[in-house]
Amino acid sequence: MTDTYLTDKPDPKITRASVGQFAQQYGVLIIIVALLIGLSFASDSFFTARNLLNILNQSAPLAIIACALTLVIIGGGFDLSTGAIFGVASVSAGYIAINVDPYLAILAGPVIGLGLGAINGLIITGFGVHSFLVTLATSLVYRGVAILITGGALIPVRIAEFSWLGRERIGMVNVAVIVLVLFMLLMMFLLNRTTFGRKVFAVGGNEEAALLSGIRTNLIKIMTFCLSGGAAGLAGVIAVSRISMAEPQAGMGLELEAIAAVILGGTSIMGGSGAVWRSVSGVLLIALIGNGFNILNVNPFFKDLTTGVIIVVAVALAASASRSR
Amino acid sequence: MKNIMKLAALTTALSPVAALAQDDQISIAYLASSSQNGFNQSIYDGIQRAAAEYDNVSVEIFDGEFSAPVQFTQVEDLVAGGRFDGMVVTPNDTVGIATALEEATAAGVKVAATLFPIGPDLSNMQPQVEGLVTTVASDPAIGATKQAEEVVEFCEDRDPCKVVILIGQLVFPFDNVRYEAYQSVLGAHDNIEIVATGEGNYSPDTSLNAMQDILQANPDLDVLLSNADQHLMGAEIAILDAGLDLEEIYVTGGGLNQIATDAIRAGQWDSTIAMLPRSIGEAALHALVASVTGEEVEPWIDESTLGDVPAIVTHEWLLENPEFEAEWQG
Repeated sequence: MTDTYLTDKPDPKITRASVGQFAQQYGVLIIIVALLIGLSFASDSFFTARNLLNILNQSAPLAIIACALTLVIIGGGFDLSTGAIFGVASVSAGYIAINVDPYLAILAGPVIGLGLGAINGLIITGFGVHSFLVTLATSLVYRGVAILITGGALIPVRIAEFSWLGRERIGMVNVAVIVLVLFMLLMMFLLNRTTFGRKVFAVGGNEEAALLSGIRTNLIKIMTFCLSGGAAGLAGVIAVSRISMAEPQAGMGLELEAIAAVILGGTSIMGGSGAVWRSVSGVLLIALIGNGFNILNVNPFFKDLTTGVIIVVAVALAASASRSR
Repeated sequence: MKNIMKLAALTTALSPVAALAQDDQISIAYLASSSQNGFNQSIYDGIQRAAAEYDNVSVEIFDGEFSAPVQFTQVEDLVAGGRFDGMVVTPNDTVGIATALEEATAAGVKVAATLFPIGPDLSNMQPQVEGLVTTVASDPAIGATKQAEEVVEFCEDRDPCKVVILIGQLVFPFDNVRYEAYQSVLGAHDNIEIVATGEGNYSPDTSLNAMQDILQANPDLDVLLSNADQHLMGAEIAILDAGLDLEEIYVTGGGLNQIATDAIRAGQWDSTIAMLPRSIGEAALHALVASVTGEEVEPWIDESTLGDVPAIVTHEWLLENPEFEAEWQG
């Protein structure tokens, strides 16, 4: 009887801890599943392959930025310039597509982004200024560059050799979604399967200890900002090719959406822990809310309110779970 | 020159020659809602062109960054600096900026509002700020109503006629006025059903996403009604990607930029509300100079009278006017 009793009634502390751990680990996924179920009941149009691929396609640029931004944040940094880099890459790609070569334009976006990210990294490490301040300042500079390139006007880029990236499909799947999956796998590989990834965790966890153990922390930081810039550039090119239009104000506010998605996914804002898949989950959660509102034709006045409440619930869930561990 | 002639009829005894005769330098500030925006750039282009007709008028542009507080502070700073005789304002917040502009007019600075009236009533074009020289604008409800009436005409033989609305942002008072006008006109017809409303935020990208979502639940729309051409640029891609025939759908926007002009001329879109930002800028500058030099100025210059274009520009009108070019690119 005693053995049976012990086996059938688990220790309540262990149960709370394991539930807490599970909620913290998968809180964002739990909310995504809840939304998927709720929206499926609310509209027949929601849970269809077409709509789910539509959500992924719409989210591709933001998710690409969030993937690389995850590495920056795990490494203890902060990048507020991704929206502006997105803008510069957008208009540069648009300009190059029209005036030089559409394929070169597709390549140019990520390269320009990578270069601008490198500038961020060099200033941060060279002057020892916090990345928050540096990227806040460079975002203004980069946004100014985007405006100078276009003079504030839109650049129509209706060229098939350019727009395929954002609009073509392979089977049912948009090329942009395939690019997102490949990019996400690349970032996951870099973070979890390479010495570079381990160094990123080390730098974000304890920079001084990382330095003392021989890690070139400045180089690691510069590399994460290069990746973040390159991702913003790639996202910018995809966005321009989707709408066949380059606009200097493209990506305005995108940096905050990307940061929100990364934090919402559960990556620590203090650095040292996190995962790429978490950030993509954060992006998808935000996208689901927007998609649900449009499909259900809910008054847009409630959209921000609902998004905010769901983010608070997700963050609170993770925080309370963390405390109960 | 045609616009100048029209303005001469609107402003009493307006005469650039008279201004030429006087030696005093006149400095005018243009407070753009955002200097990084094509529409505002075109207004400034008009201001510069008009200023070039005088020997003694200089102009400067200030970037409002699409922010009401930024623009409010700019007005205060410019009044405190005392460098300018007049201001042309394209307001970010039509109500909030009124207080700052009252201070400006009290300090003797001449103020002209463009695009929207300044004050709580968006349909009242008469000065709601004491001392305001003129408002170069038209009631946003008028264009929206005409647009909706075109939709009613298109829907005459369709029952149900499914309409999707893409509006800028419903938190903007002027977009609310337009949206209410759409609802008022379309709601009076039983055969017309507004199946979805999305916010385009004046961005092709945002509009593309919104339209893609809307099409998931409403793949058989008859009309796409929007207040901005930028929305149509994105929505058009979503419609084509969904395999729908754009020519079967009545597509109407607002702004009359060159991209819209080309699309309507090519028969891809059906119509757009005419807007003439360069002419608005020219009219505002001339009115301010006239006021600074002591002339009487009409308190309201109706934007819709500034050009030779109809309130709603259609494919047919553009075919009849092949030389027409929009005043702004997009």
